[in-house]
Amino acid sequence: MSTKPYALEIRRLRTVFPGPTGPLSIVDDVTLGVRPGEMLAVVGESGSGKSMTFLSALGLVSAPGRVESGQVLVGGRDLVKLSAAELQAIRGQSISMIFQDPLSGLNPVFTVGQQITEVLRAHRRTGRAEARREAIRLLERVQIPDAHRRLDDYPHQFSGGMRQRVLTAMAIAHSPQVLIADEPTTALDVTVQAQVLELLDTLRREAGMAIVLITHDMGIVARHADRVAVMYAGRVVEEGAVTDVFAQPRHPYTLSLLRSIPQLDAPVGAELMAIRGQPPLPGTVRQGCPFEARCYLGAGRPACREGRPELAPAAGPAHLSACHFAETLHVQEAIA
Amino acid sequence: MAAEPEPVALPAPQRRLAPMLAHSGLVTGAVILVLLALVALLAPWLAPNSPDKTDLMRAFAAPSWAFPLGTDQFGRCLLSRLIWGARVSLEVAVAVVALSLSIGTVLGALAGYLGGVVERVFTGLNDVLLAFPGFLLALAIVAARGSSLESVVLAVSIAYVPRVAVVMRAVVLTIKPRAFIEASHAIGMSDLRILLRHVIPNAFPPVIVVATVSAATAILAEAGLSFLGLGVQPPTATWGNIIADGQTSIVEHPFISIAAGLCIAVTVIALNLLGDGLRDTLDPQMRRQTGLKAL
Amino acid sequence: MNAVPDAGTPLLKVSNLVKTFGQGNALLSRGRSVRAVDGVSFSLNAGETLGLVGETGSGKSTLGRLVLKLLEPSSGTIEFAGTDITALKGRQARALRARMQMVFQDPYGSLDPRMTIRDLIREPMVVQGCGGDEITARVEATMRQVGIDPRLGSRYPHEFSGGQRQRIGIARALVLDPKLLILDEPVSALDVSIQAQILNLLREIQRRTGIAYLFIAHDLAVVRHVSHRVAVMYLGRIAEMAPGRLLYDSPRHPYTKSLLSAVPVPDPVKERAKQRIVLHGEIGSAASMPTGCSFHPRCFRARLVAGQPGVPVESCGGAILPSACIHAVPAIATPHGEQVVACHFAHFSDAVEAPRRLERLPETA
Repeated sequence: MSTKPYALEIRRLRTVFPGPTGPLSIVDDVTLGVRPGEMLAVVGESGSGKSMTFLSALGLVSAPGRVESGQVLVGGRDLVKLSAAELQAIRGQSISMIFQDPLSGLNPVFTVGQQITEVLRAHRRTGRAEARREAIRLLERVQIPDAHRRLDDYPHQFSGGMRQRVLTAMAIAHSPQVLIADEPTTALDVTVQAQVLELLDTLRREAGMAIVLITHDMGIVARHADRVAVMYAGRVVEEGAVTDVFAQPRHPYTLSLLRSIPQLDAPVGAELMAIRGQPPLPGTVRQGCPFEARCYLGAGRPACREGRPELAPAAGPAHLSACHFAETLHVQEAIA
Repeated sequence: MAAEPEPVALPAPQRRLAPMLAHSGLVTGAVILVLLALVALLAPWLAPNSPDKTDLMRAFAAPSWAFPLGTDQFGRCLLSRLIWGARVSLEVAVAVVALSLSIGTVLGALAGYLGGVVERVFTGLNDVLLAFPGFLLALAIVAARGSSLESVVLAVSIAYVPRVAVVMRAVVLTIKPRAFIEASHAIGMSDLRILLRHVIPNAFPPVIVVATVSAATAILAEAGLSFLGLGVQPPTATWGNIIADGQTSIVEHPFISIAAGLCIAVTVIALNLLGDGLRDTLDPQMRRQTGLKAL
Repeated sequence: MNAVPDAGTPLLKVSNLVKTFGQGNALLSRGRSVRAVDGVSFSLNAGETLGLVGETGSGKSTLGRLVLKLLEPSSGTIEFAGTDITALKGRQARALRARMQMVFQDPYGSLDPRMTIRDLIREPMVVQGCGGDEITARVEATMRQVGIDPRLGSRYPHEFSGGQRQRIGIARALVLDPKLLILDEPVSALDVSIQAQILNLLREIQRRTGIAYLFIAHDLAVVRHVSHRVAVMYLGRIAEMAPGRLLYDSPRHPYTKSLLSAVPVPDPVKERAKQRIVLHGEIGSAASMPTGCSFHPRCFRARLVAGQPGVPVESCGGAILPSACIHAVPAIATPHGEQVVACHFAHFSDAVEAPRRLERLPETA
C-alpha cells in the first residue's frame, strides 16, 4: 500500500440542494483520496452523487446547490475555503476536469488551436508563438497525428475520440497534479474508448498524475483502475484496491452490481441477478442504510433499518465498507 | 417471477396546478384579469349610472356618492363609462384571441408538420403579412370596412394570425423529431392523427403565451383606433374613446384620460404577467421533473 | 396477408436490403450520398432472438427501422411471415403494426408527456380499431405482464423512473400481441442495476409468448445475454453472424475479434492478462466508404495476410494490403444460413496463436 501523501483528499464533504421539505444531501459525508500516479475509479448509478462530489470539489456547483461542510485538500490548501478568484487560479493548473460529451465541451466557432492556446495563456504569461508551439506539443502528447496542421481545424472536423483527446490536451496543458475524468468514454465507441483510456494510463505513468475516473462501467474499472470507490445515494459504500474489491466485495450493493452485469464469458442463458427496486431519490433516505430496501442481506433487518453504517475497514486497513455485515459477506452468496 | 410489480416509492401525483399557484406573477395577473372579467360581465349591475346619460348641468363634477369618479364634459358618469368600457375591451380581446389562435395554429401546424412545398408557400405568404406593421394593417382594414367593433376585431385578428402561425410552426418543428412522434408512427397512426393527438397538444404552451400577448395587443389596438376615431364610434363607451374625449380638457381635468389610461395599463400588465407566468410554469415543468433525477 | 406460413418459413427474411440517404438532396450531402445499409441479408425464426451489434455508422438502427417500414428501403426485399412487405405503403403498412412493433432507446422521449400511461398503452389498440372491453382487459393484463401496477394507469410519464418508463414502452409494444419485436438499444439509457431487470423481463416474455426479437445494441455483453444468434455490423454490412456462443468463443471475422478484445470485462485478473488487439485509425464515415471490404483500412488480418507468400498485394494508404481486400467485396455464400463471415480470408489463422499486440499507429482512416 502506497504511503505517499494524497494528491487530492476529500474529507467529509457534504453538498446540499434545497428541497420541498428541507435541504437534500446530494453528496452526503463523502471521504475519498487519490495518490500521485494512481487511478481511482468512482463508480455509481444515477443519484449516487459521483459527479456531484467532484463538481463540488472544484467549486462548480451552481446555485441553489452549495457545499455545506467538509474539506477538499489539494497541495495543502483547502479548496472549500478559497475565494472564487483563488479557485479559478487552481482550476486548470493544479486540478483539471474533462467531461462526458466531447462535442459540447469545445466551442464550435473557434479552432482547436485557439482553444488550447486560450487555456495556456489563462494561467501563464506566454507569447502567442510560444503558446502555439506548446499547443502542438500537447496535441502530439495526446497522440493526434499531423498536429501542426490539425491545430487550425475546427472541432467538427474531428471525430468523437479525437475531440476527447483534444479536451484532454486542454486539461493537462499546465500539468495538473490531479485530473478528474467524468465518464470520458460513455459517448464513444468501444474501440475508441480503449484508445482514450490507454492515453490516460500513459499520462498516469509518465507524468505521475493522479487520475480520478468517474464511470458506471465495471469493465473499465477492472481494466484500468488501481483503486475503486463505490458510491450509492450520495455516500461511499465500499472502497479498496480493484483486485480486492472484485475478488471479494464487502458490500452487498457491490456484490449485487457485479452479479447483475451480463458477462461476456458467463454461460449463455444464465439468469442475471437483478437488484429489485430502484435507486432512491436524493435526500429521501433519513436514517439507516440507504441500500436497505433493495438489499438481499439487510432488507427488513432492524440493524440496517435504524443504524447508519459508517465506512470502516472490512478486510484489512485498505479495504473499507459501509455495511453492518461486511465481514460476513462471501462471494458465492446467492441473491434472493 | 422475474419482474415483480414496482413498489410505488413515488411522491404523490404531481398536479399541474401546484407550481402555478406558487408563481406570484401568474397569480397576480390571473386575479386582476378575473376581476376585470367579473366587472365586465356584471356591468349592468355594477355601474351606478347609465354610461350614456348626459347632463350638461353636471359637467366636470367632482367625485361624489352619485358619481364616484366624477363626470366628463357631457356630465356622464366616468366610473360607469369605464365599467362598460371594460366590456368592450374584453370582447375585443376574447374575439381576437379566438380567431387568431384557431386559424393561426392550424396553418402553422400544417406548415411545420408537412414541410416541403406547403411549408415554403406558407412561409412566403406569412413573411409578406408579417412585414406590415400590425397597426398599419389594422388601419387599412378599418378604412376599407368602416369603423365598428367588428372591424377592429377583424383587423387585429388578421394582423395577428401570421404571428401565431409562425410561433406554432417553430414549435411543431421542435416536436416533430422527438422520439414519441416516431413511436406514434411505429404503432401505425396516420399523419393526421399524429398531428391532432400528439403534435398540437404538446405545442400549446408557447402558443398560449402568444395568445396572452395578442390579447394585450388587441386591447391596445382597440384603444388606439378608438382614440383616432376609427374604432368603436361614440357615444359607446370604450377606454379609447374616453381618452379621446378627455383630450380636449386634458390640462384642466386630466383625470378623465388618466383614469382610462390606467385601466388599459393595468389590464395589459396583468396579461403580460399571466403570459410570463404561464411560460415559466407550463413547459419547464417537464424539465424540472427530470432534472432532479439527472442528479 | 394473413396466410399461415408453413413451418419452414422464417418469420422475417431480409434480402440484400439497401438504404441510401442524401440522394437528390444537394443541400444535405453536397452531392454525396450515404449508404447507411449496404446489402444486408438475414433470417429470423419465430420465437428466436437475433442480436444486431455495431458501433456508430454500422447501420443497425437504420436496419431496424427499415424492417418496421418506418423508412423506405432503396432496394432489396423484406418478407414477413412469407409475404413480401417491401412495397407496402400507407394503410397497408400501418396494418402491419399489429404484428410487429418497436421498443425505443430513450425512455424519457419516447412517451408523449401529455398522456397518461393507460392512454399510452391503449393507443395502439385504439388505432387498430379494437373494441372497448377488449382494450381494457388487454391493457390491464399487459401492464401486469411488464410489472407495472395497473392502479398507476392515470399517472403521467414524468412521474416514473427510467426503468419504469421503459417497461411502459414495452407494454405499449406488446399490447397488440405482435409476433416480432424490434428493440433499438432498449437498455442503453438505463442504470446498470435496472438493465438487468429489463433484460430478465424480456426473456420472461419471450419464454411465455414465443415472440421473436430483433435486438439492436452496441453492448456486446448485453446482446450476448439475450440472443440466440448475433450479427456484427460494420459500415452498413454484416461482417459476421453466428449462434451466440460460437461468435463469442471463436470469432472468425477480424472486426469481431477486435471488438471483443476492446470490450472490458469486469474481472481485473482476466483483463490484465488479456492480449489486446489495437485497431488502426477510427471508423471511417459512411459517406466515404472504402472500396472492396469496408474494413480493410483498419484490419490487422489484412496486414498479416499481406506478409504471406503468394498473395497479390498493393500499397494502400501507407500500408501493404492484399488486392482482394482493397477491391473486392467479400462474398457471402449462404446469406440466410446460421453462420456468415464476410472475409476473403475467413479461415486464416491469425498470428498462428492468439492475436498478438500490434504496433500502435493511430492513422486516421
